Amino acid sequence: MSKSAIELPPKGGFSFDLCRRNAMLSTKGGVHPPSYRKTGTTIVGLVFKDGVILGADTRATEGPIVCDKNCEKIHYMAPNIYCCGAGTAADTEAVTDMVSSQLQLHRYATGRESRVVTALTLLKSHLFSYQGYVSAALVLGGVDITGPHLHTIYPHGSTDTLPFATMGSGSLAAMAIFESKYKEGLTREEGIQLVAEAICSGIFNDLGSGSNVDVCVITKGHKEYLRNYQLPNPRTYVSSRGYSFAKGQTEVLTTKIVPLKEKEEAAEVGDAMEE
Amino acid sequence: MDLNFNAPHSMGTTIVGVTYNGGVVLGADSRTSTGVYVANRASDKITQLTDNVYVCRSGSAADSQIVSDYVRYFLHQHTIQLGQPATVKVAANLIRLLSYSNKNMLETGLIVGGWDKYVGGKIYSVPLGGTILEQPFAIGGSGSAYLYGFFDQAWKEGMTKDEAEKLVVKAVSLAIARDGASGGVVRTVIIDSEGVTRNFYPGETHPLWHEELEPTTSLLDILSAPEPMNT
Amino acid sequence: MSNIGTGYDLSVTTFSPDGRVFQIEYAAKAVDNSGTVIGIKCKDGIVMGVEKLITSKMMLPGSNRRIHSVHRHSGMAVAGLAADGRQIVARAKSEATSYEKTYGEPIPIKELAERVASYVHLCTLYWWLRPFGCGVILGGYDRDGPQLYMVEPSGVSYRYFGAAIGKGRQAAKTEIEKLKLSEMTCREGVIEVAKIIYGVHDEAKDKAFELELSWVCDESNRLHQKVPEDLLEQAKTAAKAALEEMDAD
Repeated sequence: MSKSAIELPPKGGFSFDLCRRNAMLSTKGGVHPPSYRKTGTTIVGLVFKDGVILGADTRATEGPIVCDKNCEKIHYMAPNIYCCGAGTAADTEAVTDMVSSQLQLHRYATGRESRVVTALTLLKSHLFSYQGYVSAALVLGGVDITGPHLHTIYPHGSTDTLPFATMGSGSLAAMAIFESKYKEGLTREEGIQLVAEAICSGIFNDLGSGSNVDVCVITKGHKEYLRNYQLPNPRTYVSSRGYSFAKGQTEVLTTKIVPLKEKEEAAEVGDAMEE
Repeated sequence: MDLNFNAPHSMGTTIVGVTYNGGVVLGADSRTSTGVYVANRASDKITQLTDNVYVCRSGSAADSQIVSDYVRYFLHQHTIQLGQPATVKVAANLIRLLSYSNKNMLETGLIVGGWDKYVGGKIYSVPLGGTILEQPFAIGGSGSAYLYGFFDQAWKEGMTKDEAEKLVVKAVSLAIARDGASGGVVRTVIIDSEGVTRNFYPGETHPLWHEELEPTTSLLDILSAPEPMNT
Repeated sequence: MSNIGTGYDLSVTTFSPDGRVFQIEYAAKAVDNSGTVIGIKCKDGIVMGVEKLITSKMMLPGSNRRIHSVHRHSGMAVAGLAADGRQIVARAKSEATSYEKTYGEPIPIKELAERVASYVHLCTLYWWLRPFGCGVILGGYDRDGPQLYMVEPSGVSYRYFGAAIGKGRQAAKTEIEKLKLSEMTCREGVIEVAKIIYGVHDEAKDKAFELELSWVCDESNRLHQKVPEDLLEQAKTAAKAALEEMDAD
């Protein structure tokens, strides 16, 4: 079949024209878009006896450069729901913020605690509608009226429901830990221990992950955000004397002041203008 | 190794649906992969649409989930409007409608199966382009390539429920053995006038095919073994 | 009519102080003055009959039909303004096709009746619309068996074993009540419907009329069709004979 006789304007929805153009430019034209701040990441979550535990490393990268050594990857969704994000930092931040506002409004409207499936559906429908261009890979966990829930959400909008989950570039390293040590009915301490171990596995074995371990424990009616639960990468070279410098340590050799612009002054002539 | 985590999540899959006298049996493996990484080794590809209709999903996970979510919603509305359960045909037609009208966007093939009081057990397959095929048995996903001949030989008219389920489990385990993109466990759903039964067949219960070995150092053995690194 | 001049009968969007909408009642009057239309549900299907009054001797027999097919398995008989009826039939047809397009199955008669009724009702809610001056009898056969509905200008619809509207409805209803519908086949029902239509026809006021008959039954393969020519003739003969017998008494 040849091209349709009349080019009809699109009826609505998103236009992915520019995405196609960019893909063409980067393959043929050698024009590459600027790189984003990405969370080359290890994020994990598991279901334990009384709820769910989420975990994340704290490294953010920009290409080969670590641009934040202690960022937060466990995002707040609702008082009883948190969400770990991997992928483009801007996207994970934006999408979780947006859905968390929607959940807040939904709570105002219904007067009920948010459910994890609600967050899941909002996230997946947003990601699906952007066809993978919103680069957010998430581990969503929470406890609601129907019990503890753990889900993974991929950038294209597919979701899984699992007892234990890992995501990000360090997910393989972390999954190795979970696959060999996870069991049903873990206690809180065992759970936190396993999550921390999985994150550490990512921190030490994956180049994209590093720095510290964040943990978030959610149980029925209670949560605990353990920011920097472990600090396995302390600064190695710290002067034993510290880094405080007394005033006057740097000698002033010369001083020269260059005025940036000739100073102009308006002299007042006669009376001020009046009306 | 090129691990592209941005690759769309797809279900290299084996899904089957078989009719027997009185109902249908649906079957699926449980592997979901991202490139060469198994993203979920225990996924459930047999999704409920209504009380009496289920669907086996294959292709892009995101696409098949969105399609089945929409169809579940439409069927729910339809059930309320009619005041009685939707038929399998209606479910299949709604899937066809979505698959066909969005064929440029979607990459999913589905097998719908269910039971209704008017025509009994029915299997419809809705492959990639959005056509609809009513079949006595249907196979789908990457693993189905290994099963066409098997089904031509093994499927019989008027099987019993047990025969049909055995056939489904055997077929999926055969495909798991030969198709790299299929794996994990076998899940089945049986639907007839009595209702719905879900069954689960873990990897170690599958029959051993040509050149396969008894699972001696399986994951289960490792789990019960003393920890190698006790820190 | 005592209510004329009170000012509450000019608009469909104004209630009278005692809670009535006169325009809808006037619309019902248009139906009451039309030729009789009846429908019965027999054990194997539905028979519908219309006393189509002939306004001109030069009119071609079979034109200006008052029974229409909606989709393969259902039909509609119109009493009242025929043109209004065609509008309802058109809507019913489009509802039936759109249903079948989305769900891949013929529309259930109950659903069709509900949709037609809400369309008719919609026209009683806006000042810029006029209610339909017609009532329709909707007969069809779906997987739950044959069903008969009647939709009135007000937008209400009920399911019936036998229904009659138009001039001779009272007499027709009395006659229908005497029939043993649950033991009757459509082939027998056709004769009875013809007898009733001929029976209620008022020779003195209306001169000529044409009998229109249709059925949806097992004999017609559950399709809505005109009653076959030979059976129609047989029914007419039987009806005329019955009339003469009555006159002889």
